[in-house]
Amino acid sequence: MNMRLKLAMAIIPLGIIIAAVPENTTRPYKLTAPQLLDEVKEGIQFVSTDEVADMLIQKDPSLQLIDVRDKDSYDKFHLPGAINIPLADLLSVENEDYLNQDVKMNVFYSNGTTSSNEAWMITRQLGYINNYVMQGGLNHYAETIMNPSAPASTSPDDEFARYDFRKGASAALGGGNLNAAAEDAPSAPKPTIKKRAKKKRVAGGC
Amino acid sequence: MGPLIVYEYISENTNLLMAFIIGIAFGFVLERSGFSSSRKLAGMFYGYDTTVLKVFFTAAIVAMLGLLFFSLFGWIDLSLIYINPTFLWSAIVGGAIMGAGFILGGFCPGTAFCALSIGKLDALTFIGGLVIGVVIFTEGFPLWEELFYAENMGTPTINNLLGLSRGAFGLILILAAFGMFFIGEWAERKFPREEY
Repeated sequence: MNMRLKLAMAIIPLGIIIAAVPENTTRPYKLTAPQLLDEVKEGIQFVSTDEVADMLIQKDPSLQLIDVRDKDSYDKFHLPGAINIPLADLLSVENEDYLNQDVKMNVFYSNGTTSSNEAWMITRQLGYINNYVMQGGLNHYAETIMNPSAPASTSPDDEFARYDFRKGASAALGGGNLNAAAEDAPSAPKPTIKKRAKKKRVAGGC
Repeated sequence: MGPLIVYEYISENTNLLMAFIIGIAFGFVLERSGFSSSRKLAGMFYGYDTTVLKVFFTAAIVAMLGLLFFSLFGWIDLSLIYINPTFLWSAIVGGAIMGAGFILGGFCPGTAFCALSIGKLDALTFIGGLVIGVVIFTEGFPLWEELFYAENMGTPTINNLLGLSRGAFGLILILAAFGMFFIGEWAERKFPREEY
């Protein structure tokens, strides 16, 4: 039997197999479950509403708020400067440049913490960095920043300091009433992240 | 797990070392398969020797199968593999120039260095021409810049353009390769060269 036939007998069946099986499109997870558990236990992904409000007032350019609720909720109300990446679209290719970057501090938020935490966990497992979760979500934001309640008169001083900050933040961010804020809030500006080159690739040639 | 460099399993320097070793192996195999003879490459055009077609197409389909199976097993992430961007006119014009150079000179850049290393003077001439070509291209770049960047198609793959899955296109390519081997050997019988 000549070489040609032997080669054909090896390669053509392999070709038929590869044509018949579906493509492997799964993305590899880069963090193992124990590594992720460690991060979850420490809760390092959380950013408090006070920190977010502070960065918003300072117009910190490194802050990128990401609304993971659906588009209707986003259109109804969103925090100033937030972009909308619904949880369902988290893995779409056009969002990868926002999520997988090392320039900005992405803060996910949803009404509570569940959806934003899910978004964080998925992106973290893909090995992305700089993604965070606003603790307590919009509900907590409304309670603490938009409509802060005065602490009891017996509270320690730093409680009052925090209350003063929140009152100030509330005024600066058009608080008092969420619906009014929705009208005043500027629509999200076009995100300023430059389209970054895709992940480094292996170059080759003849 | 792959590609190794992108995931930083190996460092940039280890990568260069591996490239060096693979390069030596590549040159050795080229030489041993007779590619340092300019008649081999020219023979492809005149039809009396289609070794080039057979060797490189076999290499291509084996590598393709390897990558597809690696991807299937999750050993390599194909989305991280570099794909040369396609500039259609550059590809056509460059391909024509390179093809003409193959026939005239009887070497491809790789085999020219291979032949030079065993002391072939025609290869030295060829490399001289290669250097002159590089100088003309770079110095005259403004003249053909427009043509060079024309019709940027990004990084399409043929299976995407045809709307096929990678595997189905792979099978077609394998069958096409064996068909071409068959035609190549027919051509070798049809246009034999006695003196070769």
